[in-house]
Amino acid sequence: MSALHVVFKVGEVEYVLPASEVVELESYTGATRVPGAPPYVAGLVQIRGKVIAVVDLRARFGLPPKERTLDSRVIVVRHGTRLVGLLADSARDVVKIDSNEFRSPPEVVSDETEGFVDSIAQPNRRLVMRVDFTKVIGRQELTGSTP
Amino acid sequence: MSDGLDVKAFITGYLAEAGEHLSSANALLMAIDASQKRRESNPKAVRELFRALHTLKGLSAMVGAEGIVDITHELETLLRAADKAGGRLPQNAVDLMLKGVRAVEERVAALGRGAEVAPAPKALIEELSSLNVDEGSVAGTAAIDLAPELAAKLSVAEHAQLAQGLARGQKGRAVEFRPSAERAAAGISITSVRERVGKLGELVKVVPRAAGGAVSFVLIVLTTATDEALCEAAAATKEQLTPIALTETAAAAAAEPVEDAPVQHRDWVRVEVQRLDDALERLSVLVVTRSKLDRAVKKLEAGVGDLRALKAIVAENARQLRDLRGAIMRARMVRVSELLERAPLIVRGLSRASGKPVQLDVQAGDAELDKTVADRLFPVIVHLLRNAVDHALERPEDRKAIGKPEEGRITITCSDHASRELELRISDDGRGIDRQRVARRAGAPVPQTDAELLELICRPGLSTMEVATQTSGRGIGMDVVRKTTLELGGELTVSSTPGSGTTFTVRVPLSVTIVDAFTFVCGGETFVVPVSAVDDLTELDRTQVIEPPEGKKNGGARVQLFRHRGAAIPLYPLGAMLGFGAEPGSEHERPKVIVTRKGAEAMGFQVDRMVGKQEIAVRPVTDPLVMAAGVAGSTDLGDGRPTLVLDLAGLAARHSLRKVMQ
Repeated sequence: MSALHVVFKVGEVEYVLPASEVVELESYTGATRVPGAPPYVAGLVQIRGKVIAVVDLRARFGLPPKERTLDSRVIVVRHGTRLVGLLADSARDVVKIDSNEFRSPPEVVSDETEGFVDSIAQPNRRLVMRVDFTKVIGRQELTGSTP
Repeated sequence: MSDGLDVKAFITGYLAEAGEHLSSANALLMAIDASQKRRESNPKAVRELFRALHTLKGLSAMVGAEGIVDITHELETLLRAADKAGGRLPQNAVDLMLKGVRAVEERVAALGRGAEVAPAPKALIEELSSLNVDEGSVAGTAAIDLAPELAAKLSVAEHAQLAQGLARGQKGRAVEFRPSAERAAAGISITSVRERVGKLGELVKVVPRAAGGAVSFVLIVLTTATDEALCEAAAATKEQLTPIALTETAAAAAAEPVEDAPVQHRDWVRVEVQRLDDALERLSVLVVTRSKLDRAVKKLEAGVGDLRALKAIVAENARQLRDLRGAIMRARMVRVSELLERAPLIVRGLSRASGKPVQLDVQAGDAELDKTVADRLFPVIVHLLRNAVDHALERPEDRKAIGKPEEGRITITCSDHASRELELRISDDGRGIDRQRVARRAGAPVPQTDAELLELICRPGLSTMEVATQTSGRGIGMDVVRKTTLELGGELTVSSTPGSGTTFTVRVPLSVTIVDAFTFVCGGETFVVPVSAVDDLTELDRTQVIEPPEGKKNGGARVQLFRHRGAAIPLYPLGAMLGFGAEPGSEHERPKVIVTRKGAEAMGFQVDRMVGKQEIAVRPVTDPLVMAAGVAGSTDLGDGRPTLVLDLAGLAARHSLRKVMQ
């Protein structure tokens, strides 16, 4: 059972999400900041008439902030009826990965990314990490308690 | 005083009823016009129109609107005569009656605004009274520029046929054929000429005439062929060919665009009684809940109450309130078919003005949308229709040349998706948008995708017309079409194929909350706040700011006190509270203060500057990632980016909470 996956880069690492969950890829021209939102939320963007919250993956994965470039992409992902954007440094290609190619990540990886990686695969000797989307968009803190 | 109230209530009723009669009058006139095009009369529609106008006349007399009474009276007289003549009406009667109905509409609108009702327009009344149903041909001759000796030979129907063809944009020509012995020997006779000319167009009539002992024939024809071809077919010289045109007044009347008729801003909706009953039903359920609450409170007072039971009632109450709101929202819905009622009228006007025959196909279905959205969407529809007729559709002769039917086709379809969005598509079978030309005009590279194309045509002030048409340059542009769609929380897309047509798709939510809001800038970002939440706007007068005794240092977000209308109220530094990293002290030189109120408690918010006031459509922000106290929703100010709608009191509450926790 091989399925298409969208590959995107955050820092030096390549991550994947099943293409079936990705609605579209949009270039990023800045978001409307929302007071009181968690620090890893870049803000709101409007894509095809819909207002979508965008998670800054660099901030989410604990990387230092970086200037946005022409390569920056918002990956719009469907989660039930909800649409959420993920801001990546770039998102260029799509690979086919067989479902049994995915293995649990070595412990050191899962530590570094706070458990946001659910498995890894090596299509064509390229190392990619599958993101646990639910965890990435999950809100851990309540409003008002963020530092 | 109660007198004034009664009259006002009566006017409201009058406006509602007049509106209904006027829209049915327009629809009936369109039906009559359609019948006339098929050279048929429509006695039923004539009779119904008579009745509608007769009722309107009576109602208008009751509110003392003499101007309306006079116009409707004239229309009624004409229709009574037509009714007696089996529903037959002189050819230009429909145009004049449309003008009449429009004049009535203007006056009804004036009445609605509380303005003076203008007297009936003299010229129109005269024109209407000069129409004579029994002697239609006499009244009609004035409209066509044709030699009287020829005009006299035309029957009413032929005259009508000619006038209609001309109005459609066909060329009218009278060409003379002189038979002779030589010609007869060469096989050229009136029979063969008639046949050949007939092939080039619509032969209206052949009039024989005797001039100086010789017999000749004048062929009156409607055609799109060239004069050369016509002369050849009739074996005539150029001098023997005379153009026939509508006279100026008739042409002007035909060319007058109808869509500039005052778009009746109806401040009322037609509601099915059942929906009102439904709302009423929900209200009565609430009354029951209210007495349950009373009882529960009494029990609590007596010390035998049960808090759980009370909570259950409160929860029930919340649900019922939501239901009531839903029922009221449903009563505000208007049918899209009602909104599109005027589309045929608009297209007819545009078609006449541009000389391009158009067939309009409306498939409105039974979708409904909120009154507010409908009112805002209407100008968008008008503009897209105008674009389609004026720019997208080719001229009939050009269409014919490339093998398309001469009559252009415009289709409006609409559907609602999952009861949340309306999708309205306006398609034409015209030439498609010329990407090269649009790019040239905009000084930009040729758009590769439909999205890029839309981007270009929505640039403010961009126009791709070659010739300024009669209806162009008026009304709104594509940029406004897109802005309106975005403001409604919707989306505009285009798909255009060169040579085969263009489709604009407008998607809008079925209902939106539209409020008046102030726009302001703070910490480098633009925000809006509903006008209803604002108590006062004032400049920050530093002498009125009181430093609290112990200036607690909470970063830059220190709350001060501010004297306002004789009371000391908290002054929140909004920029610092937002936490967007605006450096303290970077605030505007002359900051403003927005005063809002939570219950009885007033509070001020220091902002950099006020931008203005405008209506906005508020969209809820529901994603858990961004749901935060202080954010009431988002809106689009027309720039395609979300702008936050702030709940200032909510922000203040969160701010205090945070301080407590620190």
